[in-house]
Amino acid sequence: MNFGDVKLLYLASCLVLGVIILLPTVMQVISFPKGEVFSELWLLGPGRMAEGYPFNVFAGLPYKVYLGVGNHLGELAYYRVCVKLRNQSEPLPNSTAGVPSPLEPFYEYRLFLVDNATWEREVSFSFERVAFDGNVCRVGGLVIDGHFVAVDKVAVWDAERSGFFVQLFFELWLYDADSSEFVFHNRSVNLWLNVTRGL
Amino acid sequence: MRSAAFLVMFLLFVQFVPFASAVTVGEADDAVAHAESDLGSAFAAVAEAEAAGADVSVLLAKLDVAGGFLSDAYVALKAGDYENAFSFAVACSDAVDGVAADAALLKLDAEEARAGSFVWAVVGSSVGLVLLVAFGLLGWRLLRKWYFKRVLDMRPEVGGVAD
Repeated sequence: MNFGDVKLLYLASCLVLGVIILLPTVMQVISFPKGEVFSELWLLGPGRMAEGYPFNVFAGLPYKVYLGVGNHLGELAYYRVCVKLRNQSEPLPNSTAGVPSPLEPFYEYRLFLVDNATWEREVSFSFERVAFDGNVCRVGGLVIDGHFVAVDKVAVWDAERSGFFVQLFFELWLYDADSSEFVFHNRSVNLWLNVTRGL
Repeated sequence: MRSAAFLVMFLLFVQFVPFASAVTVGEADDAVAHAESDLGSAFAAVAEAEAAGADVSVLLAKLDVAGGFLSDAYVALKAGDYENAFSFAVACSDAVDGVAADAALLKLDAEEARAGSFVWAVVGSSVGLVLLVAFGLLGWRLLRKWYFKRVLDMRPEVGGVAD
């Protein structure tokens, strides 16, 4: 190793050491990119797995699913999960256009999550005041988490799939502090349910 | 006869006069809107404190409680139970009462702590750099001396051969 190489090696070592010494200060000044920011919304069956979801539902019997939200937005977030019920002719949220379903939520959850935190809870529900009349099924109400809510939903007999189908779905909304209102976060999960005549 | 007529009138009155709730739809609506605004403002303040690096876990617990009350208020409002809607909305506003002020204090503390930590980092880095330059120069002198000594030691010596 000649003298020039030794000089270069020594200078490089000093430079690396200098960078290490400056690192704590630089870290406080430079903000690094957050990476991909997104939120999760999931629905699990009664065993907390993606299986065994309720499908054939009877009036008055309780069913349960697990609803979860994950925050990866890089900051504290205020979420609202709107619970809605639709029949086959009513609109779902349009994820392509980022538009929520125009149906009114009959129930909601509000949650506050710091970055990388998740929230999961059991959602229990049962159909109440169910009446069948020919090829029409009318659902008068739902009991969700112990609260009775009137829904008055009419499902028409689906001859192709043999059932009276309604869809329970959950939309994720995010609070925008600048506009002081919730905006649809373009996340939704749903559950097809076949309302079935008594056992 | 007169008392019978009075009784009939009373029963008709009870039958046809709608149930008068102590809280009107408007009052319940206003209370819920007010609670919504209070919760939003509290969240914005807590979010700012959290972004500044404050530990907001206690305030988040209050926001969670308030959020539950507000959800219940909406359910009651939809069910036409205006009294409960009003009560839940008031409970929501009460739950977040003072949260924005606490968040502002926490934010201030966090900002001060961050500024203090930055000053210490700058001082530490500056001292470190000065020491690096000083020891670097000293080290360089020693290294150079050692290197040349080593090179000179390796110089081939011409030895004389005695005849």
